[in-house]
Amino acid sequence: MGVSIPPKEADRLKNIVDENGGSSDEFDSEGEASEGSEVSEVATEEDGGSSGDEDASTSDGSGLVDDEDENEGSEEGADANGSSSDDEKASASVDDGLESGEGSGDSDSERSEVAEESDSSEDEVAPRNTIGDVPLEWYKDEQHIGYDIKGKKITKKERQDKLDSFLASVDDSKNWRKIYDDYNDEDVELTKAEAKMISRLLNGKAPHADFDPYAPYVDWFKWDDAIHPLSNAPEPKRRFIPSKWEAKKVVKYVRAIRKGLIKFEKPKEEPRFYMLWGDDSGAADKTNHLSYIPAPKPKLPGHEESYNPSLEYIPTQEEINSYQLMYEEDRPKFIPKRFTSMRSIPAYEDAVKDSFERCLDLYLCPRVRKKRINIDPESLKPKLPSRKDLKPYPSTCYMEYIGHKGPVVSISTEFSGEWIASGSTDGTVRIWEVESGRCRKVWEFDEAVQYVAWNPMPEFPILAISVGQDAYLLNTGLGNEETQRKVGELLHVEAAKVSDDSS
Amino acid sequence: MTKKDTAKKTVAKLKKNKHYRPAGKKREGNAARYMTRSQAIKQLQVNLSVFRKLCILKGVFPREPKKKVKGNNQTYYHVKDIAFIQHDPLLEKLREQRAYQKKIHKALAKKNEDLATRLRTREPSYTLDRLIRERYPKFVDALRDLDDCLSMVHLFAALPAVERLKINVERVHSCRRLSHEWQAYVARCHKLRKVFVSVKGIYYQAEVEGQKITWLAPHAMQQVLPDDVNFSVMLTFVEFYETLLGFVNFRLYHSISVKYPPILDPRLEALAADLYALTRYMNGNTKRISEEQESGSTKPEHTRGQLEGAQFEESEHQLPSNEDRALMHLIEEDDDNDDDEDTKKCKKLFKNMKFYLSREVPRESLLFVIPAFGGVVSWEGDAAPFTEADQSITHQIVDRPSQGHMYLSREYIQPQWIYDCINFGVILEAHRYLVGRVPPPHLSPFVDNEAEGYFPDYAETIKRFEAAAKNEVLPMPGVGKDDLDDPQLLLAEGYLSRTEAIEVAERKKERATSEKQYLEDLKQEVQGHPDATASIAVEGAQVEEESSRPHLEQVAEDTDGTALMMMSRRNRGLFKAMKIAKDKKKAKVEKLKQRKKQIAEST
Repeated sequence: MGVSIPPKEADRLKNIVDENGGSSDEFDSEGEASEGSEVSEVATEEDGGSSGDEDASTSDGSGLVDDEDENEGSEEGADANGSSSDDEKASASVDDGLESGEGSGDSDSERSEVAEESDSSEDEVAPRNTIGDVPLEWYKDEQHIGYDIKGKKITKKERQDKLDSFLASVDDSKNWRKIYDDYNDEDVELTKAEAKMISRLLNGKAPHADFDPYAPYVDWFKWDDAIHPLSNAPEPKRRFIPSKWEAKKVVKYVRAIRKGLIKFEKPKEEPRFYMLWGDDSGAADKTNHLSYIPAPKPKLPGHEESYNPSLEYIPTQEEINSYQLMYEEDRPKFIPKRFTSMRSIPAYEDAVKDSFERCLDLYLCPRVRKKRINIDPESLKPKLPSRKDLKPYPSTCYMEYIGHKGPVVSISTEFSGEWIASGSTDGTVRIWEVESGRCRKVWEFDEAVQYVAWNPMPEFPILAISVGQDAYLLNTGLGNEETQRKVGELLHVEAAKVSDDSS
Repeated sequence: MTKKDTAKKTVAKLKKNKHYRPAGKKREGNAARYMTRSQAIKQLQVNLSVFRKLCILKGVFPREPKKKVKGNNQTYYHVKDIAFIQHDPLLEKLREQRAYQKKIHKALAKKNEDLATRLRTREPSYTLDRLIRERYPKFVDALRDLDDCLSMVHLFAALPAVERLKINVERVHSCRRLSHEWQAYVARCHKLRKVFVSVKGIYYQAEVEGQKITWLAPHAMQQVLPDDVNFSVMLTFVEFYETLLGFVNFRLYHSISVKYPPILDPRLEALAADLYALTRYMNGNTKRISEEQESGSTKPEHTRGQLEGAQFEESEHQLPSNEDRALMHLIEEDDDNDDDEDTKKCKKLFKNMKFYLSREVPRESLLFVIPAFGGVVSWEGDAAPFTEADQSITHQIVDRPSQGHMYLSREYIQPQWIYDCINFGVILEAHRYLVGRVPPPHLSPFVDNEAEGYFPDYAETIKRFEAAAKNEVLPMPGVGKDDLDDPQLLLAEGYLSRTEAIEVAERKKERATSEKQYLEDLKQEVQGHPDATASIAVEGAQVEEESSRPHLEQVAEDTDGTALMMMSRRNRGLFKAMKIAKDKKKAKVEKLKQRKKQIAEST
């Protein structure tokens, strides 16, 4: 546990410097003349530096010069004298001390100011040893550990061997408070207050127990009778406008960036490709998007697209000429060609165009899911019953109605199914009995009969026929007297007109 | 009374107006579900070209509504599709880009070159990975849609870079690289199944993860750039496809534990032997990984692996002579058990064959195809693995009218031989494909001849050859079952004396005849009962038929007619369409046959 604390060092150094300034002859007496003068020079300059605290720059400059001088001096010293190593080391150590004092000359003054303000460092006891902040191992092999204020050697204490020290420590109940101070070569016993302070510091509290960091703020200013603000000056404009100088600075930076004087680190380029489909397991969930219809794949090429197809795939010249006569839509898009070796295949001139058309199809064609039926077309036909299953139906000639001399054009069956009327091109209309094949009645006309039709009403068995330009209603004379009378009445009313040959 | 009249009139009016919607009622049906393109553009507040781009990138396509409310000559988009586009950040990004372009334009117009260049360095950009994931939620989906992607990328890899059309060099290069990476994967894993050299280019078909992927690579020639093609549309597609293929490649490479993107030997790359460099990279990489895995298993193997690794790492200027053997070895070694039947077959097709490509053959295609089927290949040119003088070369592929100096130890064949062998799955006889000959017709492997109804001559020849080859290779059926089956074999092996062999042969003959007899009996028995009656009936029918053949034909026609009449209207239409298609096909086949006849007559 090093007891020497840096802020105290400042004081110590100051002391040394004062000492030097005060009595340089002490050094002279010990070291050689040349070296002594060197040291004194340094000391005086140092004095100037420390005295001119307010002018920091000059003190700095002198410090630099001082450094060089000091180095030279030590070299010279090494060259010039072959004096005892003790002396040289002593002087060197002093030099070092000076130098360190000088190096922190600027901060030194500040520190001293701080020290003045704080009351804690005032009552500190200066250390016994004056060697300064040098590694203690330099004195490892020496008889002394350093020098006291007077410049006398401080000889090392005789060390107890470990067993004795251990026994002593066991006996002594206050041993835990004892600390060995390397620097001054003495045992220090901490007081109880000090030990407490250390423990408080270790716990991260304020060192003094009576210090309350959270004490309520005491406003010492007397506000009671004040009617006016402390300052009546209006808020200056500069508090409301952006700083011009800052703006200028920003512009300067911006310009520098634009010119490329200030360069930024490029953002780290991430790899463009990564594992996009890490695990497909989670991807199964379907969002409420519409179902995706994949585009149909392009048709695969057939034999005719080969560079060397069989001869029969190549159209003859006549066929190629005939394509010109076709509509453009019907014309085959690809005409097979044959090349006898692979080296003679030229570039396909429509490669880009085909690809472009495919692109258009992909993004412009409406896509619809269609079910393509791949069945034998014959299976679409309904199954007809076989002819055999449709029996019984007349399969032989049962009855012949003989009488017409020309082809029969029209047939009509009477409502009851008893009679058939037929009209023929020979100009006759006949009524047949269905059962017997007997011809009941015959009418003869000049022209071919075109159509024959029974009256669908059962109570009026009238036959209508068309012959040439005329239509006739014929009384067939079928049925009983009652019906005949009715028919007669019906036709009689019209009889005059019928006889007039009106159509 | 008058009030009622007016009410009636309005109702009549309403009925007249087809798409009338009462004030409080929601739009519904087709009118609400679909919108025309111009409506969509208006809604999205973009111009047509941006809309086009969005549609392409998002994979939105028009739909076919049942009722076209706005008329027949409009394109209709689904409202949901448009909303889908509208909610995409890409839309905003494209707008941003447009605004940024305006800035640049303005700077240029003010002659502020400096500002313009500075602005150009930080243009807003967008990535498409999210879209890809959205469109293809599973990897298989992406593979299913890869056909167009591959064709397009291969096409752009062959296009010249034209600044006027905005086809820049980087795009062409990246397309080229991506296509090679894909090919390297397919070759490495022996996934290629069929190759077809057509006038339009070379069609390849691979089977990856159960998906058949077919793509067209144009011939390595200067491509024609027509004027009536809108390249901006194509470039948008390529942009998407590039990203897609990149991700697919990444995934595929990852699946065989090879790092992606691959780092290639710069020397090979400079010599435009990308594909070869890639194969080497993959082989080297997988080798190293497997090496790491099985390090310490057996010492000799380990050392050999190290050797090969060293070979690869050197990127040596002079390839050691045993390089190809090392490659061969790799192909042999990774005999994965999880390969399916096809892959195994493909792996072994060109096994133990060594090819050498002449200057004039299509190198890129063959460099891809031959290793995919287990062969080892080299070419004439720099960085080739072995030279022409190599004595172990079994086949030299040439495509010139005559070859000057010929090594006796190898066959000189035309490139078509390779493709035909692949398509038929057997090693064909080389004599038809020798130098200077006109090779036999190159048939498409994608055609099902039986379905088509026409067998080209060469297909039949090959079929016979295949059958013969099978007989040769396959053991005679039944050898395993009965040793006595083939006395010749036994004799040859010296198991039996001659007399014994004869005896065995006789016995075998006897057995065969008895077996035949038995089979026939069995057949009769099975068919016997119905057959007995049926044959009589048939005889009767025949007699009848002879007496009244025209009559029967008439009957058949009539029944056909009635059947047609009895079909529903829809089915009849379908039937007629099918018939037309069938007739067309028939006519085509007829035409082929006719032409064939003509050719035969003329020669």
